[in-house]
Amino acid sequence: MPSLDVVASSLASGFFLGGIYALTALGLSLVLGVMRLVNLAHGEFLILGAYAGLFLLKWTGVDPLAGLLLVGLAVGLLAYPIHRFLLTPLRGKGPEAPMMTMFGVSIIMQNLFILLFSADTRSIERDYATASLSVGPVTIAWIYVIGFAVSVIAIGLVHLLVSRTAFGRDLRASAVDPFAAAIVGVDVQRVHAATFALGAACAGIGGTLIGIAFSFTPSSGATYLLTNFAVVVLGGMGNIMGTLLGGVTLGIMQSLGGIVLGDGYRDLVGMVLFLIVLAIRPTGLLAGKS
Amino acid sequence: MNKKINNGLPRRLAKAALFGAVASFALVAGWTSSANAADEIVIGASLPLSGPLAGFGSFQQWGYKRAIDAVNKAGGIAIDGKKWPVRLIIRDDKTDPNASASNIETLISRDNVTALLGSCTPSLVNAGALVAERHKKPMVTGCDPLEAFKSVRKWTYVWDLFFDEPDLAGADFKMIAEYGIETNKKVAILHDNGPDGQIVGGQIWPAMAKAGGMEVVENASFPIDNTQFTSIIAEAKSKNAEIVLVDSITPQAVSIRKQMASAGFSPKILVIEKGAEPVQFAEALGKLSDGILVGGYWDPSFPYPGAAQLAADFEKETGQTSSQHIADSNSAAEILLDAIAAAGSTDPEKINAAIAKTDKTYVAGLIKFDENHTSKLPMAIDQWQSGKAIVVWPKDRATGKLLFPMPN
Repeated sequence: MPSLDVVASSLASGFFLGGIYALTALGLSLVLGVMRLVNLAHGEFLILGAYAGLFLLKWTGVDPLAGLLLVGLAVGLLAYPIHRFLLTPLRGKGPEAPMMTMFGVSIIMQNLFILLFSADTRSIERDYATASLSVGPVTIAWIYVIGFAVSVIAIGLVHLLVSRTAFGRDLRASAVDPFAAAIVGVDVQRVHAATFALGAACAGIGGTLIGIAFSFTPSSGATYLLTNFAVVVLGGMGNIMGTLLGGVTLGIMQSLGGIVLGDGYRDLVGMVLFLIVLAIRPTGLLAGKS
Repeated sequence: MNKKINNGLPRRLAKAALFGAVASFALVAGWTSSANAADEIVIGASLPLSGPLAGFGSFQQWGYKRAIDAVNKAGGIAIDGKKWPVRLIIRDDKTDPNASASNIETLISRDNVTALLGSCTPSLVNAGALVAERHKKPMVTGCDPLEAFKSVRKWTYVWDLFFDEPDLAGADFKMIAEYGIETNKKVAILHDNGPDGQIVGGQIWPAMAKAGGMEVVENASFPIDNTQFTSIIAEAKSKNAEIVLVDSITPQAVSIRKQMASAGFSPKILVIEKGAEPVQFAEALGKLSDGILVGGYWDPSFPYPGAAQLAADFEKETGQTSSQHIADSNSAAEILLDAIAAAGSTDPEKINAAIAKTDKTYVAGLIKFDENHTSKLPMAIDQWQSGKAIVVWPKDRATGKLLFPMPN
């Protein structure tokens, strides 16, 4: 059995890393909850954010953390036409066509990344990316703590946007019953387009954090998509605060798996948890509280 | 329902549509393009030009192309008294063994290649090599550690020039002993569960550490595409391992190094095999790559014909720092082209027989295949220093001094 400091450090890392997972999964959850769209290109929006953070730093010298809003805005703006020109024409055609369209978009984006940025392994090099924070026996990466804080702020802002604004009211109405919402004057397509862009923006911001903390390649998106699906199921589709809980739960459970079985089994633990929650509580851990 | 369809679409129109569809498919599938131009030798290769191993594929592509361009510049290969040009077809396997196998199948059945060149890493090379073997097409490859290559089967048509895993794994221990490096002799081994990772990290390193009087305080394996290493790094740190040996591909190697730093863990010796080879590793990590050791089998300074020129040409043409993979790939292609020339034929059996007779010093070193179809390249150890791979062992080939302990 590992020593106490190893266990404590791993669990703390899992907790804070879970916050980053939550932010990366938030967009997927929003799009799934509001549009009923399984966005298979979500991982690529995340990687787009990582590249945006990398090149923002390289070309302008702006620290990726300081430029997070800019990254989110850029990724959101790039995502908007995808909805307008590829998804809008498919409305009313069932869930399969938009899902397969996004599958195609994910492949196109991966290939564009290769063409534009090469297939090299990248990482955003910052001193704080590798700094450690020690509190007693617990040692964790500063970037996990920073990422957690960014995630909580971003998730809080999205929560306020959805719960306190006119757009949020339209969004909630569109999520519950798009036909009824349209009858009472909500422009459902506009809401869907904005939700799609917002989801991509969140993924982009999360992607920059991933790029700082880890490494990425044009094809890394698929790995994070799988993790994000687990977070969405744990938190409940479209449940914003549930996403945070889902992310933290997954992070801690993966760490437990890492401690007991080794880091190689983190994803296995995540997927088992995903299947268990899907089987016994398919609406998520915070079901009924969204 | 059937009646409606028949009435809606007259039979002749349906036949025409069917013919059109088949013809279109034939065009798209390249039936018309599969026939090679007359008097042309076609060489095929499947390479990881995208995906996690793309860092290797780009160097191999350059090495293969350079050899073939050189032959074409000299007028081609003489067959039946006439010079035939050589054409290289490269397909991207996206770092996927299934794609590697299917690419080789396509290169043989559709592109009608004369012979083949290999991909990179055992999983990709062996997947394609098995297809080549089944079709009895000669293939020369590098980038496939010899034990992993030999473990697949007794090869007849596939030939491999690369380093041997026991040599690779033993080089670090030899260097530690020769240089009298002082550590607490506690070793942590972190390796992926790919074929070579299992051999090097799972078997050879633990055995060699034990033989060298060292204590293996941790031996952890992980899936090739794992992203999180927090627990195993914390474990190595808590066990006070001063020697850390890692075997992983580049994205994971970068993540491991970053996570080690952010966990406040700085061993005295850090070896990262495989993933720390490409220059992209050092580019992604910046100064964090300083002091990391990786097994090498080639450097432009080595006394092989054209070694310095090869690296200089690569850097001039691409503007990138060269990698040792340009040497084994270039040599693999030259061996195959020499064999076709020696055979004076495009007959696979004759080419295969000519490859078996190879005994020549190429840019990667002396190549002479043994009964297992392997030719071993001698090992060296490189260390990343300020973004450059410096040869630090063996002494007689060193191009710089060993940085010890690894900078914190």
